[in-house]
Amino acid sequence: MIMTRLASILFFAILAVGFLGQADVAVAKEKAADNYSLYCVQCHGSKGTGRGINAPALSVQPRNHTSAKDMSSLTDESVFKSIKEGGVAVGKSTQMPPWGGILTDEEVTDLVKHLRGMCKCEGKK
Amino acid sequence: MTRILALAVSALMAVAAPSAMAADGKALVESNKCGSCHKMVGPSAQTIAEVMKRKAPDLFYAGSKFNKDWLVKYIQSPTTLRAGGVVYLNSISLNGEADVVKDPPKCASKLSAGDAAAVADYLMTLKDASMKTGVFKPGKVKKARARVVMMKDEACNACHVFPGKGGGISCPTFEGIGERLNPDWMYSFIQDPKHWDPKVWMAKRDFDDATLQLMVNFLMTAD
Ligand code: HEC
Ligand code: HEC
Ligand code: HEC
Repeated sequence: MIMTRLASILFFAILAVGFLGQADVAVAKEKAADNYSLYCVQCHGSKGTGRGINAPALSVQPRNHTSAKDMSSLTDESVFKSIKEGGVAVGKSTQMPPWGGILTDEEVTDLVKHLRGMCKCEGKK
Repeated sequence: MTRILALAVSALMAVAAPSAMAADGKALVESNKCGSCHKMVGPSAQTIAEVMKRKAPDLFYAGSKFNKDWLVKYIQSPTTLRAGGVVYLNSISLNGEADVVKDPPKCASKLSAGDAAAVADYLMTLKDASMKTGVFKPGKVKKARARVVMMKDEACNACHVFPGKGGGISCPTFEGIGERLNPDWMYSFIQDPKHWDPKVWMAKRDFDDATLQLMVNFLMTAD
């Protein structure tokens, strides 16, 4: 009895150490505004108008996220899809990268809400 | 059990006993305060808040990442590799509606040739043991095919400068990258950038081995 308990404690201790030793530990969820700054501003710009430092090198202008006209023509589902799977998944430019490997679905959903705040508009129904 | 212990101890000793040059290098890294800007011990920044405090690229896996000959040269007279700064967000300001880069930070290393050789020896001992080596297969470089993949299908040039072709500036240039980096590390980084930097502002894509080999072969000759 004691032996099995000891063995199971040892087992979990080894498991815990194994996890801590992993380089790819799950990282805490970030705020949408912070994710936007780090991942999106490089192209969409700190004002969100599509004038980031990479924009001069692009052949397609990054979407102006503050434009109610442009952003209200997109459904929330398609905005989610373009962020997660990239522009190509919604028939747009490959210069809009797929962020699914970096951001969680929850973080992408938060970003969609954040974009709706930026354009002060609702998604196409 | 004792045999396993003995093995583990001798493995540890081997890691802990670097060459005399590397030991000098370690002392030089300390006396030159490289660690005041660079992380010499892992892990990499785990949150965006930590990324924002990054002053210089991580060096705690330098031995996996760099070619030694390049290191020896660079730490004697560093050049700009990241035109948009280390963390571009810390180097941009607004010019009207558009962001522009202002004074990206530079490396302060100015070692003599002798010191640089010792420091490079030490840096080459800082390895990530989990990285697979011998992965890169040098082959015929299919430049045209690689350009279609990298400049059209995946738009790597949206963020990286391609030699002679231009590109984005929010991350390191591809100019001279073949001389600078270990191809096995490039392969590993493109396959899973988050393994090296959990908050890296580069997308992670699912590439097969053939595509990774194509891209790394192209980068190895990009000068
Ligand atoms: C490498 C540059 C780049 C980065 C980084 C980038 N984008 Fe984009 N994005 C673009 C470009 C270019 C377009 C325009 C695509 C087109 O119109 O064909 C675009 C378009 C979009 C669109 C509109 C899609 C549509 O259906 O019209 C959304 C939404 C968007 N980006 C959100 C984001 C978010 C959120 C991030 C950060 C997580 C981000 N982008 C990061 C370049 C980028
Ligand atoms: C004042 C801060 C500072 C100090 C001190 C400093 N560096 Fe740097 N170092 C930087 C910055 C900033 C960069 C990035 C330059 C770029 O990418 O354009 C850099 C880049 C590097 C690189 C290339 C890294 C990469 O991933 O591309 C190496 C190698 C390096 N430094 C080594 C050293 C060594 C060795 C020392 C000590 C002798 C040192 N540095 C001291 C700021 C510093
Ligand atoms: C959205 C911007 C972005 C795009 C697009 C992008 N990268 Fe990156 N890349 C980065 C960032 C950020 C880093 C790491 C920055 C650093 O080390 O300071 C990086 C680093 C790298 C490195 C290591 C370079 C070095 O000098 O340390 C390689 C190799 C690389 N990327 C390859 C690629 C390839 C291949 C593609 C296309 C499939 C690509 N990248 C697309 C942002 C991008």
